[in-house]
Amino acid sequence: MLVAGIDVGGKNVHIVLMKDGTMLEKGAAPTGIKKAEAVEQLYDKVLRQAGLKREDVEHVVATGSSGRRVTFAQGVIPEAAADARAVVRLIPSARTIIDVGAEEGRAIKINSEGRVLDFAINEKCAAGTGTFVDTMARALEITVEEMAKASLQSTQSIPMNAQCAVFGESEVVSLIHAKTPKHDIARAVHDAIAGRIGSVARIVGLEKDVVMIGGVAKNTGFVESLKRELATDVLIPDEPDFVGALGAAVAAETGVIEEKVETRVVERQDYEESSN
Amino acid sequence: MAETKYHTKGLECWDKAKELRTKYYKDYAKAHDRGALRWEGGAWSFDALPQALEGEVHPLTEEPYGASVGADPETQVRYQEAAEGKWGCARDLCAYLRSYWGSIILDEYFFGGKWPKADFIFQNHICCSHGKWLQVVAELEGGQIPYFCFDVGAGPYDKIGERQINYVVEQLYDGIEFLEKTTGRKIVDEKLIQNVYNTYRSACYWSKVCELNQAIPAPLDEKSMYSLYVLGTLQKSSQEIADFYVELYEEVKERVANQIAAVGNERCRVLGDSQPPWGFLRILRYMEEYGIVSIGSLYTFSLIGWWQIDDDGNLVPYPTLEDQGITIKDREHALRLLAEGELRGKLMWAPFYGAKFKNELVKKIARQWKCDAAMIHLNRGCEGTAMHQMELKIALAETGLPVMTYEGNMADEREFDEARDMRLIDLFLTETMGLKKLAD
Amino acid sequence: MEPIEKFLEVWRHRHDYARDWKARTGGKVVGYFCTYVPEEILYTADILPVRILGGHEPPNLASPHVFDMWCPFCRDCLSQGLAEKYDYLDGIMIAQSCLHVRQAFGAWEIHIPTPWKYYLCMPNAVRSPRAKPFLAGELASFKEAVEEWTGKPITDEALDKGIEIMNTNRRLMKQVYEFRKEDIPPVIGTEAMMMVWASQLMDKREHNELLKQFVEELPNRKLERDPGIRLMIVGSENDDRPFMEMVESIGGIFVIEDHCTGSRYFWDEVVPGEDRISAIANRYCDRIPCPSKDWGATDWQRKRFPHILNLAREYRAEGVILTQQKFCDPHECDIPSLRRYLEDNGLPCYFLEFEVTVPVGQFRIRVEAFLEQIRAEELFV
Repeated sequence: MLVAGIDVGGKNVHIVLMKDGTMLEKGAAPTGIKKAEAVEQLYDKVLRQAGLKREDVEHVVATGSSGRRVTFAQGVIPEAAADARAVVRLIPSARTIIDVGAEEGRAIKINSEGRVLDFAINEKCAAGTGTFVDTMARALEITVEEMAKASLQSTQSIPMNAQCAVFGESEVVSLIHAKTPKHDIARAVHDAIAGRIGSVARIVGLEKDVVMIGGVAKNTGFVESLKRELATDVLIPDEPDFVGALGAAVAAETGVIEEKVETRVVERQDYEESSN
Repeated sequence: MAETKYHTKGLECWDKAKELRTKYYKDYAKAHDRGALRWEGGAWSFDALPQALEGEVHPLTEEPYGASVGADPETQVRYQEAAEGKWGCARDLCAYLRSYWGSIILDEYFFGGKWPKADFIFQNHICCSHGKWLQVVAELEGGQIPYFCFDVGAGPYDKIGERQINYVVEQLYDGIEFLEKTTGRKIVDEKLIQNVYNTYRSACYWSKVCELNQAIPAPLDEKSMYSLYVLGTLQKSSQEIADFYVELYEEVKERVANQIAAVGNERCRVLGDSQPPWGFLRILRYMEEYGIVSIGSLYTFSLIGWWQIDDDGNLVPYPTLEDQGITIKDREHALRLLAEGELRGKLMWAPFYGAKFKNELVKKIARQWKCDAAMIHLNRGCEGTAMHQMELKIALAETGLPVMTYEGNMADEREFDEARDMRLIDLFLTETMGLKKLAD
Repeated sequence: MEPIEKFLEVWRHRHDYARDWKARTGGKVVGYFCTYVPEEILYTADILPVRILGGHEPPNLASPHVFDMWCPFCRDCLSQGLAEKYDYLDGIMIAQSCLHVRQAFGAWEIHIPTPWKYYLCMPNAVRSPRAKPFLAGELASFKEAVEEWTGKPITDEALDKGIEIMNTNRRLMKQVYEFRKEDIPPVIGTEAMMMVWASQLMDKREHNELLKQFVEELPNRKLERDPGIRLMIVGSENDDRPFMEMVESIGGIFVIEDHCTGSRYFWDEVVPGEDRISAIANRYCDRIPCPSKDWGATDWQRKRFPHILNLAREYRAEGVILTQQKFCDPHECDIPSLRRYLEDNGLPCYFLEFEVTVPVGQFRIRVEAFLEQIRAEELFV
């Protein structure tokens, strides 16, 4: 069966084509202002690369904060659900997923079937997101990739006092003026976000294995900070930014999780006792 | 919708509830035209006292006023921006309080006309904001409104002894002195005694109504319950309101006997916490599309309801004075019974003394009301009801109950991101609970 | 070591100090939230009361227990506890005060193993005449609980000793504060408050010895600095040393404050009486209240406001910095009124919202502008 998964985030669109459980083709592009248009163009491009036409695809499932913009999708699943389905397939031992994207940081607790048991999200603020990294890299006048590498060379931890992205930027500027080495500032930035994300992860509990996905997972400097913050190993699948799209493709292939309830959702012994 | 699993129908006393509420706000505004007195206080003020003054007296309780404003986001934002902009208060203060202050600053009564200035303030204090709230009101009104505030933070329900009751009763005597001095009117003991009987009936019959919601299917959904308990937050000592609760109890009993459901396709029972975002109650209706009924919460049950814990550790309604076979003898007896009922029975106050109290009580509710999941509204608008919400999440999850939290504000739409919270709710319902929408 | 250095050392290494104290004395250490805790009774039983303060670190461990609309200070305190920084405590207690700090205590009780726990039901209506007898009853129960815990009865003589330790401490700190009234104060605000912070963390008998030495040295102490603009700082819990130091390095000097980590903590003494417990109860009801308790039973006016104005005048403050921990409702309720009250009385005010970590750079620019405003006003007087 040939299916497509489309993840429309705040910053990027990711598309995965999957045939019988194997990834066939993938592509990414900036979301831009005209989201629907960006999706259409990328979809056609990915199909072209695979030598396929739209009618060859049996099911399309979308996800992401603007997943509903994919008018040709047959279904839309929540981002956390997409994450869970993909991660449990890529790393079956995963029980906690940390997903840091451009506009949101979230933590998801899952079971062995990829069912979402608990979920937490960062407060509405850029301080725990990829945008914070971008902003601080700009202040440091280096690319995000350079910042990631630089922070790995840092040997000291400098606390960032600013708890918000706006104050954070001026604090970075102050540190630059104070002639603090760039690699130490880079680490300070990563440590600050790792603290925020760590808080979110602790809300759902930190059951192992802990897996990190999302664009920021490619930032090796941040991943090191997160490992230190959580005092645990953090696994990263290949291409962590495609995980959402992959999860949507998995859902397109398998259908949404079947409803398991008849009348009552949870039957528990202690409830039966009291309902005599 | 196709045929439902259970019969369902509206409440017969629904219009009566609406009528009583409308009359209350109108009476307050018009009180002076009739030579009646006006006073303002909290939903937890012991209205039995000021309402025992000679002649006609009308109260305005601050929280339900703020909630009414909150249900109209446009006005709410306008009022709150007046409090924040013109008075200069912080945006994160209690949402009701900011609407109330803004209303005075703009000289606007939400129910029409100019702000009806009170003749006196009769308040009680338990959360950080209560005593302070009307302190600022007195100041905003030029510093001339006589102010009385008493403390009910005497300890958790299971530690209430003579000393705690005396503390409150003595303050109530001070309150009587204040009322008589301020108004030049006397407290009429017959009225006081009747008001205490009524307070007991309102508080205990509401609990009996809530207890009936243990039935499957639930005869009431929480969205409707909000409109019903509100009367007890307005004037629980009133004869009409106490009678209403007795009537409501009889009707809900009938519903249970005839398996009349609040949600026709009930198949999943959810427990809430704290006030909902008043401008967005459609969330609860949306959940009904999944067959979910929200059966209540510690908040909904005990904001006005009185409860006790029986020998088996179950939460049961606090007995009325008639149940206890008590006849009120005199003023002293009335005040003692009033203090005793509030301090021992109002379990809504228990969380103020520790997370352990809230956890234990809510776990009892989850068990006795046969809940399948809990949805906690992390309410940035009310510190009091938001006490220990994350601890509650942990405690409920430990019992195996699926729990979700969503952040919002009971009465500040600027802090409620509906799209984001709906994503969370959808995720919880479809993934964690594994539910699908019911077919139309 | 100079007293001021010792205060700094205790504040910086509070946990080492407490551990060392335990090892030296074999006594018990009780952590407490909020300055309404009657330390007199703890001293009576040879227990060291240690105030739970934050670590000025992002409270990352607190998120699963207290969500982020609660004040950062209470979340920081809890976070420190969860990080096992207070693992030496034999007990933890609170005196009923604001809802925020009760959150921290509520979670602490459940998640941080501490052998002894106590919730003291401090009345809210401290200005009602009914509060004192009620509190006396609560204190009597508290005393019994301590007796039961330590296995030692508490005599009147012991209570006298506890009261004396506390009163001496208060008296000596007030003497130090007297020096802040001078034209060129020999002690800057950061130092004065550090002295108070140390008092909340260390054995007051040792603190008293340091204070005596300090009071003797102060007449000869000269600070090599232009005194700068005399400021008062008012608000919620504040042990933010970098902020205080920053202000005092850019042309300001704090000459007085109203904080529970400053003058409000020690301003009032226990007036001895035959009934010791009642005497203690009276002190805690009559003290300058925390805003959470500052409302009258039959009077909406705040007791704290005229006190703040008097302090500002006695210490000749030229301007007031109003601060609060983010989300602190009691202070948020008071600040618009307090600001008007002080400004109407000729004191310019500047408001700053604090978190446990303060972006000093940002605040520097703002405080500089405020100091400039005061200087400009002085030119035109």
